[in-house]
Amino acid sequence: MNAKHDKNESRQDIFSAWMKTAGDVWGNMFRVWSDAAATIRPSDASPSGASGHAQTSMDAAMKTWQVLSSTMAQPEILDSMLKGSGTMPEILMKVAQTSLSGFLEFQHKWFERAGRIGKSTEAYTFEDLDENAFKAWTEIYEKEFRQFFNIPQLGLTRFYQEKANQTLDKFNLFQAAISEFLRLLYLPVTKSFSVMQEKLGELSEAGELPEDSKQYYQMWIKILEGHYMTLFQSSEYVQTMGKTLDTMSEFAAAKNDLMEDMLNTLPISTQKDMDDLYKEIYLLKKRIKALEKNLDH
Amino acid sequence: MGKPKIPVDLILSKLVEEADKARARAHKASDVLLGPLDSKIAATPYEVVCQEDRVKLKHYIPVTDIKLKTPLLVVYALINRETMLDLQPGRSVVETLLAHGIDLYMIDWGYPSRKDKFLTIDDHVNGYMDTMVDFIRQKHNLEKINLMGICMGGTFCVIYSSLNPAKIKNLITTVTPTNFDTDKGLLHLWMKAVDPDRLTDTYGNISGDAMNFGFLLLNPARLMIDKYVGFFEKIDNKQFVENFVRMEKWIFDSPDLPGETFRQFIKDFYQKNLLIQSKLEVGGKRVDLKNITMPLLNFYGKYDHLVPPEACELLTGRVGSKDSTDVCLETGHIGIYVSSKCQREFAPRIAAWLAERDEPDRKPRKKKSATTKKAATIAAVKSKSSRRSQKHAQRSG
Repeated sequence: MNAKHDKNESRQDIFSAWMKTAGDVWGNMFRVWSDAAATIRPSDASPSGASGHAQTSMDAAMKTWQVLSSTMAQPEILDSMLKGSGTMPEILMKVAQTSLSGFLEFQHKWFERAGRIGKSTEAYTFEDLDENAFKAWTEIYEKEFRQFFNIPQLGLTRFYQEKANQTLDKFNLFQAAISEFLRLLYLPVTKSFSVMQEKLGELSEAGELPEDSKQYYQMWIKILEGHYMTLFQSSEYVQTMGKTLDTMSEFAAAKNDLMEDMLNTLPISTQKDMDDLYKEIYLLKKRIKALEKNLDH
Repeated sequence: MGKPKIPVDLILSKLVEEADKARARAHKASDVLLGPLDSKIAATPYEVVCQEDRVKLKHYIPVTDIKLKTPLLVVYALINRETMLDLQPGRSVVETLLAHGIDLYMIDWGYPSRKDKFLTIDDHVNGYMDTMVDFIRQKHNLEKINLMGICMGGTFCVIYSSLNPAKIKNLITTVTPTNFDTDKGLLHLWMKAVDPDRLTDTYGNISGDAMNFGFLLLNPARLMIDKYVGFFEKIDNKQFVENFVRMEKWIFDSPDLPGETFRQFIKDFYQKNLLIQSKLEVGGKRVDLKNITMPLLNFYGKYDHLVPPEACELLTGRVGSKDSTDVCLETGHIGIYVSSKCQREFAPRIAAWLAERDEPDRKPRKKKSATTKKAATIAAVKSKSSRRSQKHAQRSG
């Protein structure tokens, strides 16, 4: 108990000493700066001029600091402050523990799903593609992060902020979709190499390895073509392609929307302005054509 | 010990041989690539005789006496360009048709810009196509003309012929999708997963480059790898390089597709398959395939991966015509127009088929009711021809 009390007292002393020293240093600095400023200040400059205002502000700031530091240096205030700071590590630890367990959970989930990638990469088995890694990312994004972009915006600029957030959100979704799509497109290449290796092994066993390098290429391109054909007909590919196109369109639309707002501030026509005009021209031309036809008849 | 020996020595010697060949080829290739190359496409002379907005009507300068009294209008798809029919001298559908004495017209759809995004299938078929058909009818003082469609252009021709049977004498459809309820072609499968509303609302027009990327994805191994490996293997062959570059020029010359047309084409054709069921509506009118009473010649490719035979072959059984023929050629979607084998089979066959049906104003044998209607139309056309000619001249200007 005594040891704890001593430790607290010594902390108080150190802090009090530091506050006093800091107050003295800044007080001295202020005096030096004031003297220096007085020597370079033009003689006709009045205290009410620009430099006068700066000087007044500086004076006020320094006085506030001096008052604060001397108050903080009082033992009873310092004591309560240190008590508060003593509880800080506990709060920080709790926050860190919660974040860490969340992160570990996330990491665990991620590794668990990532571990399943490649389990179904046997040749010609596109129906059972393991998309869990990308699905996991999309799921985590949609459950954990996406909400940040949907926080209601407030105030005069709320619509603009909302559009900016939407663009970022749509971009993230598009990135997730296109990564999955590109992975699918690359899959036949990987598979064709593994099938090619198997085939070469078989040919080697049978002593039928081709002598001409071109035949190896032809063998590979045929295998690759076959894998692509199988992939392209799979429901996974068709769905992923559709999703990629959808998310790409949504991102483009959100980006255009944001861009329209920016262009509105410039003295140029936006795409929306032009589209309105084009539509009017289109409808007018159509009416004229119909009238011409009626005249003919 | 029982394992057979791997012929490493032979493989290595072949590799050395290949490397030597590649070096020699590279040396010759530099001469080919740095020298003058004739890779011009669409070289057959023509004049633009009518224009409405971005859409032009090309009339090819005859190279021989016109043998067929009825001119032929060719309608290409809105995807890629009509230059494919005239890719290179000696391998050109245009050239062959001209050589057979056909008076040939072709629609050039041009390059749609953002202002064209509202154009629908109705605008293309009942607007531009109708303007061009009427122009030719008036110029030649004819009641009917021959119509030939390529791919999506063929689908447009089917719609047009159903809505305007009095203006079309003979209809030729080539690699024309009319039945979309099939999983044979990847496009048919993929388009069911595409949301045309989202794409059209976002992008306005559908980018030609984006569509081309989609077409390359149909067979990336062949179209993105093997094709160029083949090119490097024959890079020292000037003629091969010229033809290869011609094809590259054509294939990547991709106009954007007007958004509203794309929206309707995906929804009503690929997703609902309305045309073949005679349930499609264009410009407020139902497209009844039974209205297609004129002779019909329907070409398709056995190995077409874009528009498979299943997408084409139902048409002849659904139309009202008593004279309809299916021709399945052993080739793919593009090969039908550019392969040397099809050059002998395709265009000459069209010319012969048209020649057999070129009797002016010949009436269908079993459809007497059409006769009165036809006579009335002729009278109407003749009485208005001068006024319309003036209008077309203004449009052309």
